Amino acid sequence: MSAADSEYGHLTPLLAEYAGLDKDDPRREALRDRLVTGFLPIAQHIARRFAHRGEPLDDLVQVATVGLINAVDRYSPDKGTDFFSFAVPTISGEVRRHFRDQGWSMRVPRRLKDMHVSINGAVSDLSQRLGRAPRPSEIAEQLGVPVAEVLEGLEASEAYRSSSLDEMLSSEQGSATVGELVGAADAELDRVDHRQALRPVLGELAERERTIVMLRFFGNMTQTQIAEQVGISQMHVSRLLAQTLDRLRSRLDPDTRTG
Amino acid sequence: MGIEGPSGSVTKGRRRVSEVDPVGAGDGPGTVETPGSVVEVRTSASASLIPTIRAVASDLAARADFDLDAISDLRMAVDEACATLVDVAVPGSSLRCTFDVREELIRVHAEVDTGDAGTPVSTDTFGWRVLQTLADEVELEANGIGTVGIRLHKRADAAPR
Amino acid sequence: MGTPTPEVSALPFPASRGPSRPGGLDTELTSPVPGVYVLVVGGEVDTLTAPALGEALGALLEAEPTDAVAAVDLAGVGFLASSGLAVLIRAAHRAEAQGRALHLLGGSRAVTRPLEVTGSDQLFTLLPGLDELLARVDGDRPAGRVRRPD
Repeated sequence: MSAADSEYGHLTPLLAEYAGLDKDDPRREALRDRLVTGFLPIAQHIARRFAHRGEPLDDLVQVATVGLINAVDRYSPDKGTDFFSFAVPTISGEVRRHFRDQGWSMRVPRRLKDMHVSINGAVSDLSQRLGRAPRPSEIAEQLGVPVAEVLEGLEASEAYRSSSLDEMLSSEQGSATVGELVGAADAELDRVDHRQALRPVLGELAERERTIVMLRFFGNMTQTQIAEQVGISQMHVSRLLAQTLDRLRSRLDPDTRTG
Repeated sequence: MGIEGPSGSVTKGRRRVSEVDPVGAGDGPGTVETPGSVVEVRTSASASLIPTIRAVASDLAARADFDLDAISDLRMAVDEACATLVDVAVPGSSLRCTFDVREELIRVHAEVDTGDAGTPVSTDTFGWRVLQTLADEVELEANGIGTVGIRLHKRADAAPR
Repeated sequence: MGTPTPEVSALPFPASRGPSRPGGLDTELTSPVPGVYVLVVGGEVDTLTAPALGEALGALLEAEPTDAVAAVDLAGVGFLASSGLAVLIRAAHRAEAQGRALHLLGGSRAVTRPLEVTGSDQLFTLLPGLDELLARVDGDRPAGRVRRPD
């Protein structure tokens, strides 16, 4: 019996049980928490492997944990692969994606990232409606923003992929305010910096709320990105985050903030 | 402006230089409002400077309100034309690229020195076929006096392919 | 559990690290799940960087086993010139000769437009991203190793 077996062996039957549960089985949440907590050392181990690349270890552990949650959710024991062979690439993939996105977020201001997402949405709408690629002026009209902001957003998304424009972009000092799309709840959530303390509370949230909070906190996504991912409007995300925050806040009295 | 390179420079007629800032630093109106603007980019005839030239092309097309496919096409066509010319240019010479921004149309002329025993540009290549597909009109100019140029037109609305 | 591996480093990621060139192209060969290789490409593919992409594609198609699922993730590519198209097309032909498809993932307009304009999109299997690739792998192989996300 290998070290991994002795350390994680007791979780194997739980994995099978979890995979066999119905989507809305009330036992799901508690079981998932046990699995994630149990396998957490793997996520931490993988996070440490990436720690020399200049990202804070705490952040990497959180990203790796999101990967672990995905792995627990997607794993199916009857496919004949053991959990480790499946979880490790899933977790490291999540960390890699984080580094890729981080490259973007370090170079490009957040309001440009939000603009990028808005533009993408407008482009697919307009392409469908017009039967051809839209012009910047048409995108601006659709979004209700000045053409200059659309041009800036288009440049930024190009620069994200093109190192040749990096220098040009870094001298840029924009004045747009698309970042205001990010609702007030975000600022509130940012102030709740005891993410570790949040962990047990998350278990009390419904599936969708929990996903949204996870994406916001641990995936570091904007409300607009979350809206896209979850398939609801940004306003809806904003409302859900605000409600969720209220519930979390009532639970997070100073004594429990040990993070 | 950030045009790099030992001999890089940008000159233009009838418009302020700040209006062609490729990053859209945002002090201008953001769009080309005067048809007939001319922008000229001169760099060393080096493949490493082509990214800068195609960035200028893309920026001019975006400001001229070209549709996104046409912007993409022009960027690629300019890259293709410049890469073709840099290949046959005399080492250490310059690449001159002129953008004439008209109503709903950008005309591009790119030119390099090939010296007396100039290498001919082959139009029997995959790259040239791509160039012909991307541009609305394209023409090779080999006038036999030590320079070779490519002239291309791109309209603001990409023709459906 | 079959053969749990206590040493994380012994597990199948990353397959290798591709050449990283100044001038704007990064490539990395990854294996997100067993039997699937994804070459992740970021930057601009033009006459300068196309050879590096060619090398990386070679490594992708030579990775054992050569009947694995092969994909190129182009989400991070902001420019694709004819020289880049040419190496991708060569790789597609090579994959075809190996009896498999070359999947292209997540291209932006800067990637899809050149593919469409030249008609070379027909040579590849275009998918939005890794999730779709894994879902497809799962669907194609009943005994596959990945499960489609819910």
